Amino acid sequence: MSQRLSILLLTIANLLIPIAILTFATGFFPYKPFIPGRASFGDSNDGGRHASAPFDKVIFMVVDALRSDFVYSNNSGFKFTQSLIRSGAAMPFTAHATSPTITMPRVKAITTGSIPSFLDVILNFAESDTTSSLANQDTWLSQLKDKPEGKLIMYGDDTWLKLFPDTFSRADGTSSFFVSDFTEVDNNVTRHVPLELKQSDWNGMIMHYLGLDHIGHKSGPRSPHMIPKQTEMDGIVKQIYEAIEIENHLQSTLLVLCGDHGMNDAGNHGGSAEGETSPALVFLSPKLQPISKGSECPLIAPQSTFGYYNTVEQSDIAPTLAGLLGFPVPLNNLGVFIPDFLDFWSQDVRIRLMHENARQILDIVRGTFPGLPSDGVASTDCTLSQSDGETLSCLWSTADSSVKGLSQGDSVTALQALTEFAKRAQDIMSSTASNYDIGRLNIGILLAALATVASLATAFTVLLNARSTGLWTSSVTILYGVMMFASSYVEEEHHFWYWASSGWLGWLFFKQRNAEETKGLSRAWSAVPLLAILRVIRIWNQTGQKHAGEPDIAKMFLPAHNFVLWALVLATYLDVIRRLSRRAVPWASRQLSLAASFALGITSLGFKVAFTKVDAPELLEGLQFFVLGPMKEASLVAQARAAFFSIAILLILTSLPVIYQRMSYGGKAGGEI
Amino acid sequence: MTETTTQAKPRKLIPISQSISVLPTDTARIYNYIHPILILSLYYLYFPSLVADPVSTLKNSIAPLAHLQIIYCIVCLPPSKGSSTQSTPSTTPKKVVQFAKPAAKPPATLASRIIPAILSLLLSLSLSAPLLTVILILFGAPLTTHFWHNLLCATHISLLGVLPLFYVHGVDGRIWREISGACLPFDEVWGGVVGVVVGAWLGAVPIPLDWDREWQKWPITIVTGAYLGWFVFRFAGEYLLRGKRIEFD
Repeated sequence: MSQRLSILLLTIANLLIPIAILTFATGFFPYKPFIPGRASFGDSNDGGRHASAPFDKVIFMVVDALRSDFVYSNNSGFKFTQSLIRSGAAMPFTAHATSPTITMPRVKAITTGSIPSFLDVILNFAESDTTSSLANQDTWLSQLKDKPEGKLIMYGDDTWLKLFPDTFSRADGTSSFFVSDFTEVDNNVTRHVPLELKQSDWNGMIMHYLGLDHIGHKSGPRSPHMIPKQTEMDGIVKQIYEAIEIENHLQSTLLVLCGDHGMNDAGNHGGSAEGETSPALVFLSPKLQPISKGSECPLIAPQSTFGYYNTVEQSDIAPTLAGLLGFPVPLNNLGVFIPDFLDFWSQDVRIRLMHENARQILDIVRGTFPGLPSDGVASTDCTLSQSDGETLSCLWSTADSSVKGLSQGDSVTALQALTEFAKRAQDIMSSTASNYDIGRLNIGILLAALATVASLATAFTVLLNARSTGLWTSSVTILYGVMMFASSYVEEEHHFWYWASSGWLGWLFFKQRNAEETKGLSRAWSAVPLLAILRVIRIWNQTGQKHAGEPDIAKMFLPAHNFVLWALVLATYLDVIRRLSRRAVPWASRQLSLAASFALGITSLGFKVAFTKVDAPELLEGLQFFVLGPMKEASLVAQARAAFFSIAILLILTSLPVIYQRMSYGGKAGGEI
Repeated sequence: MTETTTQAKPRKLIPISQSISVLPTDTARIYNYIHPILILSLYYLYFPSLVADPVSTLKNSIAPLAHLQIIYCIVCLPPSKGSSTQSTPSTTPKKVVQFAKPAAKPPATLASRIIPAILSLLLSLSLSAPLLTVILILFGAPLTTHFWHNLLCATHISLLGVLPLFYVHGVDGRIWREISGACLPFDEVWGGVVGVVVGAWLGAVPIPLDWDREWQKWPITIVTGAYLGWFVFRFAGEYLLRGKRIEFD
C-alpha cells in the first residue's frame, strides 16, 4: 500500500471517529419529551382535590446511601424505627433506584418522579453548573411551596441548594468534599432540628445526612462506624417522631426516611448492583396506624439480598407525596401512587386518585409517541398490540372506559386496569430503549465501523509483518470488542487485562527462550519478576463488582503499615524529581534544574501530606513528624496554589525556550530537549 | 552445537528434538485411542463432586489419573533412551543422548518400561507439581488462600501433561532446555502439554462472569480447561500439527 493512500485512510479514520462519537452520543443522550410548567388541579384534573389529604406537612429525611438492610435487617442500629414498623406507625419499602446511583440524579428522581438519564452523571460532577437546576421544573417541592401556607426549609447536602436555588426560606448546606468527616457534616444538620420542630411556619423540611455515605466510602458497609451512625440517625427519627406525637402544629406531619441510593460491598455506588439500587424507604406517622397492620421487623428472610418488604420505584415517592399531602402530581412524573396508602380513602376517591395519576402519565406517553390515536380501541387482551405505544394506548382505553362505565362495572376492576396502565407505562417509559434514538445509534456505529476498516487497512501490512505479535494485537483487540457484550466483563475489565498480559508475558518467555541460546541467565527470565509484579498489581486494588470489598493491599495492608505507604510515596516523588531534573530548565546548569525540580517535588509532596492530614488522618498515625510546621499552618488552598504555580512556572521555563529555539532555527533543531 | 558453547552473543536455538510416535504394536495403537476417552470419562464422572468439594475430589482422583497415565506410557509410548538404559537418569547431564525416533521399537522387557514410568511419576509429583503451583500463582491463582486447591490443580496439570514428557524425553538438560523454549515438534505428548497450558489459561475466562454458578469457583474452570485442552491438542498434535513447531516470529 502506498504511503499516500495510508495517510489518506488514516486521515479519514481520524475524522470519522469524532463524528461517529458525536452522532452516537446524540442518539444515546437524546432530548427527552419534557412538559414545562406546573401541574394544577384543573377541571379535568380533579382527583386530588376531591381526596382530602391526610397530611399537611412533610419532613423528608434523606440519609445518603441508606441501603435497605441498614434499616430492616437484624444487624441494624435503627431500633426505634424498627419498633414503629412492628407497630404499624411506619410503613417500610425498598425503593428501587435506577442506575446511575449517585446523589444528584437520585434527588431528581425523588423530587420530579422522572427517570434521569446517564447525562445527569456528567451534570452531577459539574455541580457548580446551574443548567441542571430544577427550579423551573415541576417537583413536589415547588408544589408544596405553591400552597398558600407553603414555606420550605432545607438542611444537609448542598446538592439540594444547587438544584433548587431560591426555593428554601431557611437553609444550611453541607458539603461532601472531605469524606473523612463522619460527624461534623451530620451535626451541622442535626443542630437545626430541635429549633425547626418548634417552628410552625414551614410545610416542608428537607434533611440530607451525608455521614453514613462517607463511612461507606471510607471503610465499607461493615465498618465499625456504621452501627453507631445508624443509631445516631435512629435517634433523630425518634426525636422527630416524638415531636409529631406531642406538638400540636405537627400532628398532621408525615416523616419520610429514605436513602437516595445504596452501596455495594466496598461501600461505593454509581452502578447497578443490587446493593446500590436498593435504598430503604420508610413513611412514618402515628396516622398510619389505622391503615397499616405493622410488619415483622427486623426481617430475617427478605425476598432477595436487599429486597425487603414491597419494592417500589424511587419515582413513586413523588405521586405518593402528592396524594398524601394533597397537591397535583408533578407534570413529568412517571411514578405510580404506592397502593398501600390508598386505604386512607373510600373506593371512589381511590379511583379518582389513580385516574389522575394515570392521566398525567398518559400526557408523557403522548409526548413520547406522538402518532398515537387519542382513543385507542379498548380490548380485553392488550398483549396482542404490536408496539409499546399501541400497548399503552390499548391499556389506557381499557382503564378509561372501565372508569367511565363505573356504574355498571365494579370498582376493583377499574382500579386494577388503572394500576396496570400506570405500571406498564412506567416500565416502558423508563426502559432505556425508549430513551435512545436507534437511527442515530446505527449511523454512529456505521461511521465507527468505517473508521475501523480504514485504520485496519492502514495497519494491515504492519500487522502481517509482525506475525505472532500482530496476531496477539489483533486477538486482544477483537476479544476486547467482544468483551463489551458481556456486562460482567465490562465491570470486571481489569481481569481481562490481567489475564491477557499474563498470557502475553508467558508467550514472551517462550519466545525469548526459543530465540536465543546463551549460557548463564537468559533474558527470558525477566518474565518471572514481571509476572510477580503483575501478580502484586492484581491484589493492589479490588475493583469491579464481583470481588468489591475483598481484602487488598491498598485497603488492608497499607493503612495498617502506613510507613510502607509513605516510603513508597516518597520513592515515587524522588524518582519523579530525578527524572524531572534531567529534562527541566534545559538552558540552566545541572544544579539549577535539580534545585528547581526538588522545589517542585517538595511543594507537591507537602500538599499531598497536608491534604491527607485533613482527608485521611489515619494514614498519618504515628508519622506526625512527617507533617512539617509550614504544612500544618498554611491553608490547603494556599498549598494547592503553590504546587500548581510551581508546575506552571517550571513548564514555562522548560518549554518556552525550546519553542523559541525551534522557531528561530526554522524547526530544524527540534527533537532534542 | 554442543553444551559447552561459551559464546556470549545470543544465537538461535536449533532444536534437535524429534516427534515421537506410539509403539508399533496393535495394543498400543488401540489403547492410544481408548486412553483419552478414559481420561475424559474419568473427568466427567468426577465433575459433580469436583464442583461440590474441589479439594477432596482433586485429591482422590490423583491415584486413578496417575494409574491411567502410567499405563498409557507403558503401553503406548517409547521410553526415553537415556532413562531406560540407566535407572538414575539425573546422572547423565553432559552425555549426548540418542533421542526417541519415530516408530521406535518396543523395548524388550516390561521392567525397562515400568521403571521409567515410575520415575516419571515421582518426578512429575515432586518436581513439576510444586513448580507449576508457583507458576499458577504467578498467573493469578490465590496466594494467601486456596493453597491445596493450587497444589492439587498443579498436580493434575503435571500428571496430564508433564508425566508423559518425562517418560519419553527423560531428564536430559538439552531437551528440557528446548521444552523451556517451547520448541518441541508436535506429537501426542507435546500436543498434550501445549493443550494443558493453553486450556488452563483459557479456563480462567468464565471466572469473572456474574452467573454466580458453583462451577465458576477456583480452580474448577482451570482444571476443566486443562483436561479439555489436553484432549483437543493431543489429537491435533498427533495428526494435524504433527512435526510442526510453534513459530514465535
